[in-house]
Amino acid sequence: MLRDAALVAGKDLRIELRSRVGLNQVGPFAIAVLLLFGLALGPDRSVLAPASAGLFWVAVLLSTLLAVQRSYAIESADAARDGLRLSGLDPGGIFLGKASAVAAQLLVLEAGLTVGVALLYGAHLSGALVLVAACAAGTCGLAAVGTLYGVVASGLRTRETLLPLLFLPVVAPVLLAATKAWNEALAGTPGRAGGWLDVLAVFAVLYIAIGTVAFGPLLEDG
Amino acid sequence: MNGYVEAGYVVVLGTLGSYGGALLLRERAARRRAGGNGTGERAGNGPGVATQVHRSGPADEGLQLRHRSFEETGTGTEP
Amino acid sequence: MSTATMRRQTSATQSDGAGMALHLLGATALVGVAATVWLGLFVTPPDEFMGNLVRLLYIHPPMAWVAFLAYGAASLASLLYLWPRTRAEHFDRLAGASAEVGVVFTGLTLASGSIWGRPTWGAWWAWDPLLTTTALLFVLYLGYLALRRVPGEFHVRARRSAIAALIAFVDVPIVYFSVEWWRSLHQAPTVLNPTTHKTYVHGSMAWTLLLGFVSFTLVYIWLMAHRYRLAKLQDREETEGLEVALAERRAEAGARG
Repeated sequence: MLRDAALVAGKDLRIELRSRVGLNQVGPFAIAVLLLFGLALGPDRSVLAPASAGLFWVAVLLSTLLAVQRSYAIESADAARDGLRLSGLDPGGIFLGKASAVAAQLLVLEAGLTVGVALLYGAHLSGALVLVAACAAGTCGLAAVGTLYGVVASGLRTRETLLPLLFLPVVAPVLLAATKAWNEALAGTPGRAGGWLDVLAVFAVLYIAIGTVAFGPLLEDG
Repeated sequence: MNGYVEAGYVVVLGTLGSYGGALLLRERAARRRAGGNGTGERAGNGPGVATQVHRSGPADEGLQLRHRSFEETGTGTEP
Repeated sequence: MSTATMRRQTSATQSDGAGMALHLLGATALVGVAATVWLGLFVTPPDEFMGNLVRLLYIHPPMAWVAFLAYGAASLASLLYLWPRTRAEHFDRLAGASAEVGVVFTGLTLASGSIWGRPTWGAWWAWDPLLTTTALLFVLYLGYLALRRVPGEFHVRARRSAIAALIAFVDVPIVYFSVEWWRSLHQAPTVLNPTTHKTYVHGSMAWTLLLGFVSFTLVYIWLMAHRYRLAKLQDREETEGLEVALAERRAEAGARG
């Protein structure tokens, strides 16, 4: 299963490297979101800086939607989805592969967003270890849920509106915990972020497990 | 203060009542339509329809398109 | 068509046992709700802290209870549908029916909570753990119902919806505990506070609340039963429509052939 996962992940990432849609579209989208938040909440840094963590993670959540939709859009060309089904690859492996590819892209995105948040909102980056840990655990959870709902929505005509509606409420705990963890880190008290990191880890493990099991039946139904 | 209490009761009872009433009306309409199809009504509500009802196949694809509307209403469980 | 003939019945009235039971249930529920309203509005005394606002607390907690009960029922039905040994169409319809009734009750939980909160806290909303979880539950419900509406073959749609239901179901406790912890870091108004609990200790208030829980649960069951029947009728209508059309097509082909 893991070998299949590596195969699928490699394929997805190679497509991304060649097409650079993530770089050209999802990245700028995330920057645009940061800018729009800045415009909405005013130029006053005393408002923006404390809100940095929350705004960062909302931007990540929205970007996840795009990354997941892109992940499935590449399958819809040339009946690639059927090819995937018939390929004999372990469905759990396919899930892990696609989710890993999405997670990898998100992590790169988050690095960029971190810089953006420091520049635009004046966030003082401290507690780097917690920041990174939260990103790692949070991203795994987001990628897992996104990939799972992505396959549910992918065959359907209303997928563009259905995916956000399904995805966003379920990942609310990730938003909450990750923001809290980041807040503790940015406030100089990274020690207090422990519990929130646990929530993120539990969430990620749980949904990776569910995804691995549920992906097969969902892929068949498409 | 009391205004809020009355408002609360009215909202809850009114909504539940309307929903229940709407359900009954829709059920009656659906029953009438099912009778109109010439197959009559089925007394009793056992779950035994499973074996008889769904025989989807290639012929159904074209027919299903006819039943679809632009708002993507579902195959029967739309509220 | 032989299937249609097999299903043809002469009875057109609700004289069967299930119909009678349903009517009885409805009547009982109605009496229960009426009694709750009468007791809640007129018989029980005002609370020493909240005054008359306590009367809303005979309604709001039952709404919340049913909202979560309906969600649990929909998730259980989904699980039973997915489990190969218990797979049956009625579980999918039950899940859908429970979800639709549940979303109504969830909305009412939020509404009644807001209406109670406005005079109590001075604001229409507070990030109370239970209310916030209910609000997210509301959106989860709506997503599930939206997914159910997407057309497709029955079993495909059912399986897809069932898995989505379980994904969301697992999330609800995580949401609740996260929000609760999130909120415990800030002192602020909650629905479940010690004052509220003290209120129900004595006499008529406790009984009225209990009656409220029971009555609205019966209402939920009655609504769900009717919604289930409606779903079954609609599914049959759709299939019969197909059969009629198929018969017409074949007749055409036969005439031409």
